[in-house]
Amino acid sequence: MDTLNEKKIERRVFTSFFQAGFIEAFTGIFLLQLGLPALFSRYGFGDWESALLTLPIALIMLIAVFLVRRFVVIPRLGHVKFLPERRRKVSKLIIVPILTLIAGAIVGYIFTENASLRHIFVGQIPFSLIPIIVFSAAAYFLDMKRLYVYGAIVGLVFPLGKYLETVIVSRNTLPATILFTAFVFLGIATVFLVAFLRKYHEPGV
Amino acid sequence: MKELENQGKKQTTDSLSEIMNIDRLVHSPARLSILTYLSVVEEGDAVYLLNQTGLTWGNLSANVTRLQEAGYIEVVKEFKDKKPHTLLKLTNRGRKAFYDYQNKMKELLDIKSPSPGRDVE
Repeated sequence: MDTLNEKKIERRVFTSFFQAGFIEAFTGIFLLQLGLPALFSRYGFGDWESALLTLPIALIMLIAVFLVRRFVVIPRLGHVKFLPERRRKVSKLIIVPILTLIAGAIVGYIFTENASLRHIFVGQIPFSLIPIIVFSAAAYFLDMKRLYVYGAIVGLVFPLGKYLETVIVSRNTLPATILFTAFVFLGIATVFLVAFLRKYHEPGV
Repeated sequence: MKELENQGKKQTTDSLSEIMNIDRLVHSPARLSILTYLSVVEEGDAVYLLNQTGLTWGNLSANVTRLQEAGYIEVVKEFKDKKPHTLLKLTNRGRKAFYDYQNKMKELLDIKSPSPGRDVE
């Protein structure tokens, strides 16, 4: 691609495939995955029990998102195979969360092994930094600036929840903050999907 | 003044002759739009082009046929989930024609000729 305009057009075409609210839905599901176990654990469920209770909900929602994409969005937008340049960029995006999680695990291990650092690590640094890094990488590789904002919001949810827990003395404050943010994202996703359906109709041949 | 006018006339004549050599197959707004949207992807189907260009089915079909006949795009008709599916792809010839057109238009529109009545007193 030689000209700036072509880059703009390619970017517009690529981002048009995300206008139905998938990113917002995934963010909401991700937050649900964190908020629900936190809520369950406060009611006496163990880590495994909480995870087992949450997993089917997240799976059903993820399957629903993929079905909507497959049977509602793609027939309306059409099938496109992007240029190798764009495909390389998207594939790089997959590497970033993996590297971040590995780095997070290593840092987490170092912090938890060191008793003096443990209190800083628990529930704060990884839960704030990992979403910020992953969302920023996604914003860069997908050319979508709004993901920087989403990363900042998701990163802020945990410190905010912890802070609110000290102000509003309730065992549900942190999960409630996470779940509230999750539902906000799912709400935004629904609004985007409705707007998309109103704008695009399945073309009859 | 006279010299500048002559220079301007010469450039205008040159650019006009260049305009006559422009690829008319690419120059049509509908076909230019189709080629532009196909140039930014490896391949796309008819629904993609329909959405992006805003053309009607009939108009899209007619222009795609003309581009296909010229060898600028490749059309693959297949069945996907038991439904007919048309995939379109820019050929090397089409890509070259599209970029040649772009370059020619850029050259034509970037001519720094004095505008009579504005720059010349």
